[in-house]
Amino acid sequence: MRYKNFLIYLLPAALLSGSCKKYLNVNTSPNNPQTVPSTVLLPTATIGIAFANSNDLDRATSAIMQHIAGVANQTQGYDVYNFSGAFDNQWNGEIYGGSINNCQTLINLDSATSPVYSGIAKLEMAYAFSLATDIWGDVPYSQAGQPSTYLYPRFDKVQDIYQGNPSLGIRSLFDLVASGMADLDKTSFFKPKTDDIVYGGDITKWKRMGNTLLLKFAIMLTNTNPTLAKSVISGVLSGNNFINDNSLDFEVPFGSGTGNQNPIYNFNYVNRTGDQMLSLRLLNLMNGLNDTLRLAKFFTKPNGAFVGFDNGSNAVAPAVANRSQYGTYLIGVTGNAPIRLLTNFQAQFILAEAALILGTPGDPNAYYQAGIKASMTKVGMSSSDIATYFAANPTVVTLTGTTQDMLKQIITQKYIAFIGNGIEVFDDYRRTGYPVLALPNNPGGDDPTVIPTRLPYTNTEQSTNPNAPNPRPLVDVKLWWAK
Amino acid sequence: MRKLLLLAGSMLLLSVSLLAQNRTITGKILDPEGKPIPNASILIKGSKTGTSSQADGSFSISAPANTKALVVSAIGMTTQEVDVTSRTTVNISLISSDKTLSEVVVTSLGIVRDKRSLGYATQKLGGDQLADKGTVNLVNALEGKVSGVNITGASGSAGASVNINIRGITSFTRSNQPLFVVDGIPISNDVDRTNGGPNGTLGDNQPANRALDIDLNNVESVNILKGPAAAVLYGSRAAAGAIIITTKKGGAGGRTEIIAGTSYSRQNAEGLPKTQNQYGQGTNGVYNPSSGNSWGPKFGTTPTAANGLLVGGQPVAYQAYPNNINDFWQTGTISDNSLIINGGDAKQNFTLSGGYLSQNGILPNTSLKRADVKFGGNTVFRDKIHLGGSITFTNTLQNGILGGNGASALAVVLGLARSIDLTGYKTKHTYQNPDGSNNWPITGQDNPYFDSYNDPLKSNLTRTLGSVTLGYDLAPWLNVSYRLGIDAYTDRRKQVFAITSARVPAGQDLESTIFRSELNGDLIITAHKNDVFIKDLSVSGLLGQNINQRRSQTVTVQADQISIPGFFNVSTGANFNIGSTEVTNLQRLLGYYGQLSLAYSNYLFLELTGRVDQSSTLPTFKNTFFYPSVNAGFVFTDAFKVQSDILSYGKIRASYARVGSDAPPYLLSNTFVKAGYGNNVANFNFPYGSIPGFTLNSNIADSTLAPEFTSSYEAGVNLGFWKNRVSVDATWFNTVSTSQIFNVGIPPSTGNQTKTVNAGRMTNKGVELLVTVTPVATPAFKWDISANFTKIVNKVTSIAPGITSFSIPGSAFIGSIPSIKVGQPYGVIIGGLIPRDSATGARLINAGTGVYATTIANQVLSNPNPEYTMGLTNTFRYKGFNLGFTFDFTKGGQILSFTAAAYKSRGAWIETAKDREQPWILPGEILSGGKYVKNNIQIPAQTYWGVMGGLQSEFNVYDATVFRMRELSLGYDLPSRLVKGWHINYVRVSVFANNVFHVAPNTFFDPEINTQGAGNIRGLDLQGAPNARTIGANLKVSL
Repeated sequence: MRYKNFLIYLLPAALLSGSCKKYLNVNTSPNNPQTVPSTVLLPTATIGIAFANSNDLDRATSAIMQHIAGVANQTQGYDVYNFSGAFDNQWNGEIYGGSINNCQTLINLDSATSPVYSGIAKLEMAYAFSLATDIWGDVPYSQAGQPSTYLYPRFDKVQDIYQGNPSLGIRSLFDLVASGMADLDKTSFFKPKTDDIVYGGDITKWKRMGNTLLLKFAIMLTNTNPTLAKSVISGVLSGNNFINDNSLDFEVPFGSGTGNQNPIYNFNYVNRTGDQMLSLRLLNLMNGLNDTLRLAKFFTKPNGAFVGFDNGSNAVAPAVANRSQYGTYLIGVTGNAPIRLLTNFQAQFILAEAALILGTPGDPNAYYQAGIKASMTKVGMSSSDIATYFAANPTVVTLTGTTQDMLKQIITQKYIAFIGNGIEVFDDYRRTGYPVLALPNNPGGDDPTVIPTRLPYTNTEQSTNPNAPNPRPLVDVKLWWAK
Repeated sequence: MRKLLLLAGSMLLLSVSLLAQNRTITGKILDPEGKPIPNASILIKGSKTGTSSQADGSFSISAPANTKALVVSAIGMTTQEVDVTSRTTVNISLISSDKTLSEVVVTSLGIVRDKRSLGYATQKLGGDQLADKGTVNLVNALEGKVSGVNITGASGSAGASVNINIRGITSFTRSNQPLFVVDGIPISNDVDRTNGGPNGTLGDNQPANRALDIDLNNVESVNILKGPAAAVLYGSRAAAGAIIITTKKGGAGGRTEIIAGTSYSRQNAEGLPKTQNQYGQGTNGVYNPSSGNSWGPKFGTTPTAANGLLVGGQPVAYQAYPNNINDFWQTGTISDNSLIINGGDAKQNFTLSGGYLSQNGILPNTSLKRADVKFGGNTVFRDKIHLGGSITFTNTLQNGILGGNGASALAVVLGLARSIDLTGYKTKHTYQNPDGSNNWPITGQDNPYFDSYNDPLKSNLTRTLGSVTLGYDLAPWLNVSYRLGIDAYTDRRKQVFAITSARVPAGQDLESTIFRSELNGDLIITAHKNDVFIKDLSVSGLLGQNINQRRSQTVTVQADQISIPGFFNVSTGANFNIGSTEVTNLQRLLGYYGQLSLAYSNYLFLELTGRVDQSSTLPTFKNTFFYPSVNAGFVFTDAFKVQSDILSYGKIRASYARVGSDAPPYLLSNTFVKAGYGNNVANFNFPYGSIPGFTLNSNIADSTLAPEFTSSYEAGVNLGFWKNRVSVDATWFNTVSTSQIFNVGIPPSTGNQTKTVNAGRMTNKGVELLVTVTPVATPAFKWDISANFTKIVNKVTSIAPGITSFSIPGSAFIGSIPSIKVGQPYGVIIGGLIPRDSATGARLINAGTGVYATTIANQVLSNPNPEYTMGLTNTFRYKGFNLGFTFDFTKGGQILSFTAAAYKSRGAWIETAKDREQPWILPGEILSGGKYVKNNIQIPAQTYWGVMGGLQSEFNVYDATVFRMRELSLGYDLPSRLVKGWHINYVRVSVFANNVFHVAPNTFFDPEINTQGAGNIRGLDLQGAPNARTIGANLKVSL
């Protein structure tokens, strides 16, 4: 009897053991999918490159380039070259994680049925890599974004990223773009529609974007490989299929609703309303060029007048309500201005510079004026205001003097047109030395005697990747393509 | 104590065999107070024949005619021999043995054990040592009283969580809170966080750890099982120790008892920095009414246009409000009422209880309300079947306000400019404008009352804890039982942000339902035999099977861009895409375990345990893992029959235990997650309009994950001197944690940021010491001293190949990241340190600015681990009076204080007024002509204190050494001859105070604060609520 009872008690346990495999088989996440379609990855990658371009890296480079002056918190630090502990989010979560990893996933995802996604992903990835290398110099490139193959990606040299290096298995940025454009030409079963938030699935526009990307990359080589630069630019010119109209600009749209706003608005008008304002130095430049009508599209005029602040100054900043802050061109109504990554005015200025320096076809002055007009039109100046400005300021809108004088004019106009995109301006400055900028007040950081020529590597990458240069190069070490 | 001992007795199974009988001896077993002792063992001397006493203490035994003596023993009592040569009726009065040396303790699985038989350290506290002392949270009530334990409260905010770590931190990323077990059922002590707007959990309200739901009035005792040795039978869950709580039960004393208690206390904020009252709002000595800082002109300065005090020819109102910060704190109140009815006898009994606690916090619009009802009963059928069950229902409501850096009420108030008067802002029509918007002169801040009343977090939690136990005595020596327990709660939360709130200007209504349940079933077979193989060798065996399921689901709807001011319903939102989530977790475990205990002559003990777990969270092909333990105890004073007036008791013990832990669920496969970019300063969240965006999970899964292990070596000694008037319980332990499951940082350039691995090693070495002394023990006067000491040295010895540091999972501000770093103790905070001249150690100054050079990142900024802690409790009993007080002392450990930073950088701290108008020079060196020279650059006081008050600067890292009078209580029992006439057992009145005072030699604020609450992130004061001092009175009547 006793043993019978005993068995009854054991029965539940026996039953449980019998079905325990089933019982324990509950470890598939109900929270996050294991596979997703390409349509939900493309918007992530596209927003990623725009966010990377317009968030902290933009604030730092815009302060270094003296478009803005920092008056509080991190931007104030950037203004005087204090980059301690900065840019992890940008490297980790915007460029490599966010843009490059999702582009890589799109490329890996069945490119037989969806070469168009692969093509777009390669173009966006090329843009993302160029951001990284232009900011930091040598960066993970050929081995980045492939954790199952390369857990500790190698840092490829800037020259290898731009020019390629077959011996190290490095494909150049130009070849990456070319490969993407070739993919775009393939027949694709899956095609992007609304998930292509820039061009709505119009592949012809992506081809223009790709060619303009080649222009952007090529002009970086004026100091170090003018031959390659000239041949690329000439090729693009002869194809005549690049962004040559404002309506074709590669600009990533943002929304006005909470969570969808562009970071320029979200930072300056929602979360950090008091951190930065118009640089007094930019204000002086624009006053000198009588270009305040355009400036008013970039920056607000509280009480009807521009109020700037000197970079690095210890003085007390005016009250927030009395500061010139980013204006409608950059913020839209409530954050719905697009982030402009490749534009018509940019292409025109590149062609002007190329015609001037490299001798590519075309009249530098014509491109120069087209660039200024494209910029002025883009910011919202009326054609009559533009005509008035051209009539009143012939010396500004006409290239004159030595080649260097003319280059200075081109880059200065590009510097103005790209207000809000500090990275492009920072690239041009380091490559050409224009516009001429003075050190801020109270500079600090690695080397208080020069305007930084790169940004420091981030803490996380440095502490996790044994291939990261150690010690890191100081911010006064010039990049390969710099002047 | 008494009741527990009786309960224990009922579980001892005695072997009875009948012999030829000639006569019957009857009698009663009583305690020194004349109360009956049920279940006492009565053995005929020199035989195995015996019986046990009934609930009323009576017994009857048939004995051979030649029987000379009975051996009477009971748990907690000194064994006594009674001569029965010439008697058939005896009343036997047993004398209490010293309870610290022979008490019974409730160990794993609710099994009651004589402490003498344990080969590992435990510490028990009675309910009377915990309740009626002014604490609401059980974990707070343990502070200062337990060795081997570190406890830190989040703050004095109503319901704020309390962190407890036993014997240090043993897991890199899993919860290091001990397992909480109520009457044998594991319960949740989780802390559920709700984001405080874009600051997330870095600026949230301080929610409770769920042990808060336990009504202290109903706690009979708490036993702390310190090492994994003590808890191995609970498996993985108890790797960090276990808190075994026994609630009050019916049946004690064999009669019905009604205990009614009521208490009322008042609370005040404590430990705040002193403020200066000479300078008011402004910057660089110029008045500015929209400044939140006190760098304006000195009060009483002649108004001029230049100093900003003369506007339009008229002087502005400008004066100090010395109490403006204190005005914000309120007098909190706590009322706590309980009624407990216990009835029945040892076999059939019931308990019915109810409690209601209502607390209004020290911060505006904060409160805690807790109502609980419990019913339980036990019965025995046919002397063999034991059936018991209980159900507890709790409803806990918590209302809290935001804290943390950036725009919370607390961030505004802590260091408030000295010329701002808060008294005029207390009512709704003053803290907000007629349109409902925030009325406050300072941009980027909320009026603290606006923030308190318009941006609160409300939590409404209902919790059910139920258990059923069915046992069957198959034989006198063999019992089978099954116990099923469930703990389930649903916490409905609402966090709102009014339109114009600084953190979420567009307004937000966040509705969150947090559900957690844990089902736990144990089949336990126990056997016990005396005199196995040889005389005096008793053997106990246990076989068990465990089934455990934990389920949780958090569903959150976050409505952004609220359309109707002052009205909060998610339907008024325009955007639901940002924080709306559904997170479901399910994990299951099957365990099989056994325990074999050998006792020889009640002085030599050996115990072996083993457990096999199968977990749903590990790869199916290797989801089974085994872990053993062994422990031994030797009471050498009994073994060698030491007869000494000095050394009355001596035991040495040692144990080894290994505990395996499974992984959190869903770590085995790579996934995609909804995409988002940025942080609290700028962010983007998908969907973009109606366009979804997903991204690769930043973590790479490991499909071959194995369990993590903690091995513990422990050795200890228990000594009693002078008839156990002095007792010492000392333990040395060494814990090694290996094969940790965590997401190790990998180069972000891989596109991922972490990878789940099994790696790492961490050690905890420590000593814990508990000394109890009874200097005086007379019938009228008794003085007890209990002192404890704990020293734990934690060291992370490895992480993963190539990895020297990674951050503890959780939110952190970049620049002060709680981290795990090789060679350092767990939880050091990594940040930037100012570079120094390697020759002199002096800090380097930027020659251009006169302030310190840019910091070097990735340095150890602070270490939150204390060097040692001590606690001291004195209890005096004189006739009906009972006076007790507890002190504790924490030596070392550092805190990074944003509160201190704010008081300095905002010019509010009293020191910032000294020499305000004189030039200041930061101590340090500047590089001049290739040489370091002493800094001589003069800077204004504002700049100086701006440097000293840099949020994450090394100047805000403080040594948290603190001495505290934790508790003080004075009770009085009305004379029993008086109350007996009223048919009342006792009437007890007491007054008490908690957190009476503290002395912190190295800080100007109370350093015992832990803004992030219970969890692995410690040592941060991110501008949270201050601590509270509680003073109150209590009345308790037992019928």
